[in-house]
Formats: sequence, C-alpha cells, structure tokens
Amino acid sequence: MHDRSGDNILPRRDTSWGRRLREPRRQGAIIAAYFAQFLKSRMSYRVDFVIDLTANLFSLGVQLTVLTVLFGKIDALRGWSYEQVLFIYGFSLLPLGLFNLVGVNLYNFSEQYIIEGNFDRVLLRPVNSLAQVMFSSFGINGLNELVLGSAVMIYAGGRYGLSFSAVDIMLLPVFAVSAALIFAGVFLGLTSVSFWFEDRMGLAPPVYNVIRFSRYPLTIFHPLVRALLTFVLPFAWVAFYPAAWFIGGEEFRLLALLTPLVGILTFTLAYVVWTRGSRRYTSTGS
Amino acid sequence: MEPLIRVENLCKDYQVTRRREGVWGGVVDLVKPRREILRAVDDVSFEIPAGEMVGYIGANGAGKSTTIKMLTGILTPTSGHVSVGGLVPWRDRTHYTRHIGAVFGQRTQLWWDLAVIESFHLLRKIYEVEEGAYRKQLDLFRELLGLDEFLHQPVRKLSLGQRMRCDLAAALLHGPRLLFLDEPTIGLDVVAKESVRVFLREIRDQLGVTVLLTTHDLGDIQQLCRRIVIIDHGKVIFDGEIDELRSRVGDRIKLTIELREAATSASLADVTGTMPVIWRAGDGLVHEVEFSRRDVRSAEVIRAVVNDRPVHDLRIEEQDIEEIVRGIYRRGDAKATDAADEGQEAGDA
Repeated sequence: MHDRSGDNILPRRDTSWGRRLREPRRQGAIIAAYFAQFLKSRMSYRVDFVIDLTANLFSLGVQLTVLTVLFGKIDALRGWSYEQVLFIYGFSLLPLGLFNLVGVNLYNFSEQYIIEGNFDRVLLRPVNSLAQVMFSSFGINGLNELVLGSAVMIYAGGRYGLSFSAVDIMLLPVFAVSAALIFAGVFLGLTSVSFWFEDRMGLAPPVYNVIRFSRYPLTIFHPLVRALLTFVLPFAWVAFYPAAWFIGGEEFRLLALLTPLVGILTFTLAYVVWTRGSRRYTSTGS
Repeated sequence: MEPLIRVENLCKDYQVTRRREGVWGGVVDLVKPRREILRAVDDVSFEIPAGEMVGYIGANGAGKSTTIKMLTGILTPTSGHVSVGGLVPWRDRTHYTRHIGAVFGQRTQLWWDLAVIESFHLLRKIYEVEEGAYRKQLDLFRELLGLDEFLHQPVRKLSLGQRMRCDLAAALLHGPRLLFLDEPTIGLDVVAKESVRVFLREIRDQLGVTVLLTTHDLGDIQQLCRRIVIIDHGKVIFDGEIDELRSRVGDRIKLTIELREAATSASLADVTGTMPVIWRAGDGLVHEVEFSRRDVRSAEVIRAVVNDRPVHDLRIEEQDIEEIVRGIYRRGDAKATDAADEGQEAGDA
C-alpha cells in the first residue's frame, strides 16, 4: 500500500527567489530545445529550405532596386537624401527580421490552434502559453532580413558619413528589439481577436501591408497618416523614429528615445488581450 | 479526509451560432447571427479521494470532455468551483499542470515529426524531471508498454495503438499523482485495448496514481473502476459503485428454460404463481422468464419450474453494465432517449 498522508494536497507554487531566478533559465532551455527540434525537422525538407531562402533574398533585392531606381531620378525626398532614406529602410529590416523569426506562429494561430483545437496541448503544459505558441516554429527567413538590413545600414551610413558613438552602438540593438516588440504587440493583438471571433479574421494581411509606410521618412506623409502611424498603429516607431536618432534632426531625438517605452506598452497591452482571450478558449468538441 | 478532487456546481456554457442555409443565409448570418447558449456541463458536483480510479461516462455530447478539460485547466468554467489538491486548475495552470498527466485519445500530446524518444526528452526538460527519476520511469514504461520496438520512430508513423501507449508514457513521465484520461481506448482493437487496461491497472496498483477516466467503452469501466459517475445532458445522473447501480436499476435477470415437453407461457405463469416474474412468449419448448434479483431469488424460480415440469436445460443471463446504463438513460426525461441511442451506437462500435 502507498502512504496516502498528504496525498490530497498538491505542492504550492514555489515562490522562493532561487526558483524565480531559475525559472527564466528553464524557459530559455525549453525554447532552445524547441529551436533545435525545429531545425532538425526542418532540415529534413532541405530543398524547401533552400527555395525559401532564395525567394526571400530575391524579394528583398527587388525592393532595394525599386528604391535605387526611384532615387536615380530624384536625389531627395522632401528634404530627405537617398542615404537617409536607405538607412531608414535598412533599419526597418532589423525589427522585421526579428519579428519574422517567431511571427509566423501568430499568423497561423487561429487556424492551427483555435479551429483545430491544438491550443489544448499548449494549455496542458507547464510553460507560458504564448511562449509555447511563439516558439513552436521559426521563420528562418528573418535571418536574411537581419543580414541585409545591417548591410544596407552600413552602406548608407558610410555614404552619409555617419559616425557611431558608443551610446549609438548600445542603443541600436535596444531600438531594434523594442521595434520588434511593437510588431509583436500589434500582431499579437490581432491574433488574440480570434478568441472572440472564431471565423478567420482577415485583418492581419492589410495591417502587414501598412508596414511599408514605416520604411519611409514619416514627414513625407499627410499629417493624418502621420498621426495614425504614431498613435494608432505605432509603426512610425518601428523604423522612422529610432532610425532618425542616428540620421535625423534634433527634433526626433526625444521621440526616438521613447521607442522602448512604446514597444513595452504595445506588447503589454496585447498580452493582456491575449490572456483574457485565452480564458474564452472553447476547444473543439470531442 | 479532504478529497483530492472536489468539484462543486460546475457549469460551462458554449455560445453556438446557428448557421442558415444557402448563400443568402450566409449573408444574413453575417449581419444577424443566430446565437444560442448551450449548457454543456450543468451543475456538476463530485469528489474523488486520492488513489481512486473513477469512470466518468456518458453518451456523445453529454459533457464528459468538457468536464475533463475544465479539470485539466484547458477551459475556464462559466461558474462553479474546482479544487484539485487545493489548486484551481485554470487559475494556477502553469504550476498545476506540472502535477497532472492527461491523455486525450482523439489527439496526441506528442510532437508529430519527432521520434518518440525525442518527444520524451523534450518533456523531460519541460517538466524538469531529474535524470535518475526519468530513467526509472522510462524503464518502467518501456517494460509495461513494450515501447522499445518503436521508440526511435517518428510519432506520425505509429499505429493508433502504439501512439496511445506512447501518449500514456508521456503523460506519466514526470510522475504525476493524477491522471486524466479522455477516451484512452477509442478506436483501438481488442488487443491494444487490453494492453491499455492492463497498464492502467498496473500504474494504479504500483504507483498509486489517482485516475479519472472518460470512456464510451463500458468494458474499460467494468475492468478498471469500482465507482462510476454517469453524466447525461450535462447533469450527473448517477454517482456510486457499479454494484449499487445494478441494484438501483433492478438488476434484471433473464432465465432461459428449455423443456422436454411443449407448454404455453400461460401454463408456466401458473407454475410460478404469485412470484413477480414476467414470462415471455416461447415456442413451446423454449421459454424465457425475466425478474429482478431484488424481488425474487433465481433459485426459487428454478425450483418452482423444475418441481413441476421436466426441464432439459437452463441458462441464466445477467444484464451487462451497458444495458444497465441504457436503463438509466431511459429513466431520464424524454430528451434522454437520443442520448441512449448514441450510447448504444458507441457501445456497438
């Protein structure tokens, strides 16, 4: 027979500091393991992998050509030089690349998890549900964007005669990550809507298209669009404001410094919506 | 003693949208959807002490899965309370799920593209199982479930029976004290079913795991559980031991008698006289008589017949649990009849 004393009580959550400090390490190890497994299964479809990579590089090349051709005819865009615009474009690829590494899971969430009921499995595991979804697969293409973005920035910055101070070099990754958080927040918010409306919402693709606006100097747009991109869909902060820290005028410096705040705010807000939505999850009948 | 699982007045509503037919109906649906509230689980209460294995049964759509999903923290109830070992499943989810295991027969918990053993490695990381404990559990399950032959195959290549065995092992690797099983034998052949049952008995006896099991297959219940909870249209209609269920429904017995000389049912009814039995019309030699064990002993009926008539052969049949459960459904309101039909289909499957 088994000793049943205390069998009726499950241990409480361990809230000690040791545990709290170990927890991020555990979650990190799990994500790393997910990534390793993803690579393993991905590599088994090698041709797919190569085609994907090539197609992505090609599409980026096309965008860059359009930009070059455009500036071959006019050498400035409402006071912004070719180098400045190119720099903003290069910077915009960094958060986009970071986001695309995990964003694909948000894109497919409604179909893959809600309609097919796979969210059950996520909720059964003792890991944050959003982390499990975000890191269940990876968009390796995001790495292309990171590489290309960096190259474009170096090229444009070089031509512009830009010099980076130590502070600048520290701020660049902070801005890039914060901007990626804005992307993640916006798309997480849209994804969470599917907890309320099970029918597939076609909102994500049009919003994704708005990202294009974020790649140009904000001042070239109508004030209404500017306000929209600053306050409603804060895409102005994913490229223009932070990039302007490096190549823009003094007037953008304060706004650029707000980027991390906007990133954290956007993502937190979306996370609250996600959490509330999760409670409405109804699974599938079986 | 405080029960391990305590469920109080648990309710879950679903909002369902009734779709209209045709293209125009689709347009109308868009503007003015017809929404209805469907109560899938209706004021369910029960308690389960540690170490018990309880069968939770009901027809399709009776609310079994919904209950299990609330108990495992997947769904948040509309109202009511659940406490498992002092934790609230949906509120303490990430902590709570460390201490439970769950198998959903319809859907694997494993990674489709990974080899079984790699899925287990990932689970070990997720649940922070120490190497020694992991080895011990794994060795035990390899032996009990015969996992060795397909441990290195990807999950998608496994047969349903193999997959189910892996799912059972996966649900128990971290040594949970509680196991929730939703249709663990669904779609399995006789041999695979039997191996699942043997395994469950084994872990109940060896590891002392508390198990709540939903199933269509009353064979599972008969072999594994002493206590059952029957749910119908979201409500608990029976909670108790199987023996109690038998006596409550009446525990019908059917006696088939083969005579040496032809007789009418009416004349046989005279033989049993005032005994509360029902004679079915026979063809002269073979007759059937039904009665409840509560009202009269089989021995008395048999003695009465044998003393009066030359009997060639006798056969006693007890009602099996499936019929008993069907009887319980029939006693419910008129709505319950379609549930009983579904139950019958499931029983035949």
